[in-house]
Amino acid sequence: MSSLQIQNNQCFRLNEIIFAEKNDFLKTVSEHLSGGFRMLGLFPPDKRNPAKIIAVLANAGYSELCIAGGEFPADKLEFESWAALFPQTNYFECELAENYGYTPVNHPWLRPVRKQNVIAGDKPYQFYKLEGDEVHEVAVGPIHAGVIEPGHFRFQCHGELVFNLEINLGYQHRGVEALFPEADSNRGIMLAESIAGDTVIGHTCAHCNVIESLSNTQLSLRAQVIRSIAEELERVAMHLSGLGGAANDIGLALAASSYGRLRTLVINSLADLSGSRFGRGLFVYGGVRFDFDRENIDLIIKKLNTVRNDVRVINDFLFSSTGALVRFEKTGAVSTDSALKIGLVGLAARSCGIELDTRINYPYGAYRYFPVSQITLSTGDVFARTRLRALEIDESLRFIFEQLENLPGGEIRAAAGSIEPCSGAVSITEGWRGDIVHIAITDEKGGIAQYKIKDPSFNNWYGLSLALRKTEISDFPLCNKSFDLSYAGHDL
Amino acid sequence: MIDAIKLRILQGDPIVHDVKNAHLPKLFRGLPAIADKPCPEGCDKCAAVCPVQAITLSPLSIDLGRCTFCPLCEEACPEKLIHYTSNYHIASDKRENLIVTKDTKKIPHAHAAKKIRDYFGKSLKLRQVSAGGCNGCELELNALNNVNFDMGRFGIEFVASPRHADGIVITGPVTRNMSRALEICYEAVPNPKIIILVGTCSIAGHVFENSVQLQRQFMEENKIDLYVPGCPPHPLTFITGILNFIGR
Repeated sequence: MSSLQIQNNQCFRLNEIIFAEKNDFLKTVSEHLSGGFRMLGLFPPDKRNPAKIIAVLANAGYSELCIAGGEFPADKLEFESWAALFPQTNYFECELAENYGYTPVNHPWLRPVRKQNVIAGDKPYQFYKLEGDEVHEVAVGPIHAGVIEPGHFRFQCHGELVFNLEINLGYQHRGVEALFPEADSNRGIMLAESIAGDTVIGHTCAHCNVIESLSNTQLSLRAQVIRSIAEELERVAMHLSGLGGAANDIGLALAASSYGRLRTLVINSLADLSGSRFGRGLFVYGGVRFDFDRENIDLIIKKLNTVRNDVRVINDFLFSSTGALVRFEKTGAVSTDSALKIGLVGLAARSCGIELDTRINYPYGAYRYFPVSQITLSTGDVFARTRLRALEIDESLRFIFEQLENLPGGEIRAAAGSIEPCSGAVSITEGWRGDIVHIAITDEKGGIAQYKIKDPSFNNWYGLSLALRKTEISDFPLCNKSFDLSYAGHDL
Repeated sequence: MIDAIKLRILQGDPIVHDVKNAHLPKLFRGLPAIADKPCPEGCDKCAAVCPVQAITLSPLSIDLGRCTFCPLCEEACPEKLIHYTSNYHIASDKRENLIVTKDTKKIPHAHAAKKIRDYFGKSLKLRQVSAGGCNGCELELNALNNVNFDMGRFGIEFVASPRHADGIVITGPVTRNMSRALEICYEAVPNPKIIILVGTCSIAGHVFENSVQLQRQFMEENKIDLYVPGCPPHPLTFITGILNFIGR
């Protein structure tokens, strides 16, 4: 198997990538996939030469990360699809086809990822259709019945039962990846902060890591710890929001409003540190901009003490309520087998019993010295996804308190070096939804030539489709909230 | 039952009672104050670091419609002429009022026409459309309904159908793929109706301004009634902006 072995946040030279002949490349990728690897990216490192592509593959069980390269005849960009055997590559192949004109032969279901023109005209995309007596179709979106991002959902139903849910996205496509090569450092960070507004810290951390790897910038331990504390604060805040959402969707207003109150405390803690409730402006290349001092540590600890105390009472209330459990348990279940096949990541994967957490499998930053525990549940249903949130909040709070009380000394900002030309780096961080992958490739002058982002939602939207099968359509909002996926992170 | 009561007691009284005079964290970046001193000769450091071209020089001014309220210009100025205060009253009904100079002490309160105040002064229902928003503004708008801000107490609510709404709230820079849906939604709102832009993306496009994937024609074709700047705007900026706008 000819592939380049790399590590998370390791800078590699482009000429180290072995570009094998097309068939060898396809075989190498197949071998990796059958050996338990997951795909993290499939794209040409040089946009001007789409005939040469790389596949970034990861095997979390062994903390392995590798890059396989392949060269296609420029006049025939087609390949035998892996998706029939390895459904996890399905969407990556669609993306490659959409962006660079490849044809995955025998692809089971080639469909638009972002650049469809369903409402704007052109040739409308044909949705998957169910036929038969008493079959009906429900179309929802792009604008939904709440303050929420846009996306289109097509349900093929038989009575109340959903047979298939097709999720059609792309409405949020702002062209983020294409803007990175033109952006200077300040703009680059701001772009990263705006990939998904609910995962500002996760995405910005991945972006800074990838640039710092390419420029060989070493961060002080203090800066790394502050970054991790911010990541965990974001995780706690969004998990509280998810729990509140789930409670709200089953009509348990008391729990919903209590979680909402605690979330305010957590995001206000981020504001005490950085001035923004989402941590915008905190990150700079080489460290962080804002430091902890006695004053803001005391403010934050006071808030988080309330959170730690109250969340226990609310969790007890929610998870001992029979009404809640009846709605949560066995609703929208995804089997471990399906989850592995379609390549679920993050919280959704862990709730199916899959051990997959970047902080543990590919430790980065402060997690290399101060580990967190891997928490998994096995049922893969709404219960598992909500309960796991509650458990992860406890673990994140433990981490935050431990670090706040033992902050290492030192500077918080190091000078950023210059970016290596003709190189690349892969940075994975664990956002609250799952693994965030940023891959940057540089040109001869040290500018960004290619920038690829994979939000966990890219993998997990299909998980929501599977969760809805044989589920009543009225459970859709609850299932949707239990995944709580990003539209903006998917659409980019 | 006893657990529910315990929970209610824990809840306490978390609401922001006086939304017009709340205290925000010390570092919160709201209305910038520009010191009444001349810039050093030939210095363009603040404008050079600004990722969204919100700053114009000689005389120094900051356009809050473009500003993302990041700390870069404050940090870059060698004379410390720019300082972001925690004043969150920055919504305006006129685009030009968002331009802050050294003479700006506050943003003039938004003020709707009498007809709009008569119609919507006591009850305002809004339909939100995310047209490429990153979910930052959406989260802050959702926070308006939580127990801390509780916008419903003022009779201002988000509704599901544009047909039930008195206006639309737009977040996001308006992507090509959402432009048609946005138009359809706006058309479905009965007259009279208002348009509120929330966040830097919808007001000026943010870092996406020059992306080929945007289609911002809607903004040029329609009159905007209220601008709520921020990235994302603080919930209190939104509430106070609207309360002033409808004369409350």
